[in-house]
Amino acid sequence: MHPILVRLDRLGGYLALWCVVGVLESSVLTQQGLTWPEALVQVLPPLLVYAFVCLSAWYVCRATPLATSGVPRVLTASMVAAWVGAALWLALNEAWLATLESMPELASITPRFRAQVPFLFVVSVMLYLLVLSVHYVVLAFEAFRTAERQQLELQVLTRDAELRALRAQVDPHFLYNSLNSISALTGSDAPAARRMCLLLAEFLRTTLRVSTQQRISMAEELSLAERFLSIEQVRFGPRLQVERAIDETAMECQVPPLVLQPLLENAVGHGIAGLVDGGTIRLDIARRGDRVLIIVENPRDPDALPRKQGGVGLENVRKRLALVFGGAARLDAAASPSGFRVAIDLPGTVDA
Amino acid sequence: MPEYSSLPLRIAVVDDEPLARSVLCEFLAAEANVEVVAQCANGFEAVKAVSELSPDLLLLDVQMPKLDGFEVLDLVGRDVAVVFTTAYDQYALRAFEVHAVDYLLKPISAERLSEALARVRERLGRGERAASPGAMAAAKPREGHAHRVLVRDGPRVHVIPVDKIDYVQAQDDYVCFRSEGKDYLKEQTLAETETSLDPAKFVRIHRSYLLNLARLVRVDQDERENRVAVLTDGRRLPVSRAGYTRLNSLL
Repeated sequence: MHPILVRLDRLGGYLALWCVVGVLESSVLTQQGLTWPEALVQVLPPLLVYAFVCLSAWYVCRATPLATSGVPRVLTASMVAAWVGAALWLALNEAWLATLESMPELASITPRFRAQVPFLFVVSVMLYLLVLSVHYVVLAFEAFRTAERQQLELQVLTRDAELRALRAQVDPHFLYNSLNSISALTGSDAPAARRMCLLLAEFLRTTLRVSTQQRISMAEELSLAERFLSIEQVRFGPRLQVERAIDETAMECQVPPLVLQPLLENAVGHGIAGLVDGGTIRLDIARRGDRVLIIVENPRDPDALPRKQGGVGLENVRKRLALVFGGAARLDAAASPSGFRVAIDLPGTVDA
Repeated sequence: MPEYSSLPLRIAVVDDEPLARSVLCEFLAAEANVEVVAQCANGFEAVKAVSELSPDLLLLDVQMPKLDGFEVLDLVGRDVAVVFTTAYDQYALRAFEVHAVDYLLKPISAERLSEALARVRERLGRGERAASPGAMAAAKPREGHAHRVLVRDGPRVHVIPVDKIDYVQAQDDYVCFRSEGKDYLKEQTLAETETSLDPAKFVRIHRSYLLNLARLVRVDQDERENRVAVLTDGRRLPVSRAGYTRLNSLL
C-alpha cells in the first residue's frame, strides 16, 4: 500500500497540490478564451483521478531502484510508465468530455476545450515524471535514514557485546580457583606462586586492553589464549595437555578480539575438567587465502550428563561474529559422545 | 562447645585439583587432633575411602569428574560428615538442604577451615551423623529429573542410566532397581525414588512397584480378576486399582 493512501492527512495534502496544478492548467485555458468556471469544470475531475494514477510511480520506483538498476533501465521504465499514465489520463479525459457533451447545456464549451488536449497530454506526461522523481528522492532519503539507524544499532550492539564479552572473559570462578592455586603454591613453591601471580596479572591486563579494540592480530589473540592455558595447566597439572598446529602466516591476520579464548575455556571447563585422567585439547589455526580457520577439539566424558551445547561463551562468540561479519563468518560446533569440536571460519584482513 | 573441641578427626580430602588438596592438607597439618587419612581425586575414590577407612569428615569439592560432590554425599552422607569446598557460591543453599555441615568458598582461609572443623566436632560430639534420609530426599528433586541412579555397593559405585531401569521394587528399608538382568539395592524409600524420576516415564503401578513405561507390553487380568502388567522380558508385576488408574491416565 502506498504510504500516502494509508493516512488521510497525507492524502488530503497530496490532492490539494493537484488542485493547485489544476488551477494552473485552467489559467492556461483561460488564455484561450475559456472562462474560469468552464476551464475548472473540464480540467479538475480527470486530473484528480489522474492524481491516483500517478501514485503508481511508487511501485515503479521500488521495482527499479536507483541503487541497483542501471541508468538505461531507470529511464526506460520511467518513460514507459509516464506514457502509460498519460494514456490513462487521455482515456479519463475522453470519458469526462463525453459526459459533458451528453449534457445539452454544457455541450457548447467542449469544442474549444478539445483543441487543448494535445497540450494537456504533454503536461500529463511531465507531471507523471515529476511525481516519479519526487518518489525517487523520498525513497533515497528514507534509505539513507534507515542505513543511519542500522549503523547506530550496530554500534550499540557491538558495545553491548564487548561489555558482555569482558564480563564473560573474567569469569569470577576462574579467578577464585586461580587464587586458590596461588594460595596453595605460596606454602609449597613460592617461585611458582609468583609466576602464577604474574601470569594472572598479564592475562587480566591483556583481556581488558584487547576487549576495547575492534581488531587485534591473530598472534595477540593466540598469546592471550596461551596465558589462559598456562594458568589452567597450573590448576589441572598433567591432566591438561595441549597439542597445537599453528600456521605462522595466519598470525598477521586481523581478527575480532576474544574469539579463541572462550573456545578454550569451554574445552577445559566442559571437557578436560570432567575427565578423571584429563586429556588433550587440540588447537588448529590455519590460513586459507584471506580467511582464517580456528579449530578447537577436546575429549569429554561420554557418561557425563548432557550439557547445553557449549554454553554462554560459545553463544557470545557466535553473536559477535554475526555482528561483525554478517554471513561472512561461520561457527560450527559438533558434539560426539566422546568429544566436542568447534570450528570458526572468518575473514582475516591483513593491514597493508 | 569446649568439651568437643579436642575430638580427634579423621579426614578425607576430596578434590580433583592437586593444589586445592595440598592447601587443605597444609592447613590441616597445623590443626591439633586431625589426621588426613586419604586424598581423593574424584568421587569414586571418595566413596571407596569412606567404605574402607570410615573417616569422620569429607572435605568435598562440588565440581569433579564422574560424580559431583552432591552425588558423593547422596551415596555416603549417612556415614560421614561433609564440608563442601568450592569456588561457586550458588550451591550453598542446596548444600545446607542436604545437611552439609559447612560450605567453604575458594580461596579457602585457614581460619574459616578451623571454624568448619569446630562445627563438625560439635555435631559429632552431640552424636549426630550427617544427613537424615528424609532431608536427603527433600533436596533431591532439583532442576529437572534424574538422568541416572547411583547405587553404592561397598566401595564400588554403580551408575545406572534411568532408561536402563526396568522397574523399582520396595524392599523394607531399601528399594531394588532392576536393570539389565541385575538387581541393585539402595537405602531409600520408594516414594523418594518416585519423586526423583520423571513421572512421564515411571509410574507407581502398585504400593511396592514403580514401572518404567517403556518396558510395559500390556496389562492382563489373572484368574482372580487381579490386573497384572506384562513386561518386555515376560516378567509379570501386580497392578493395584489406583495404579491401573494412573497407568490409564498416562497411556
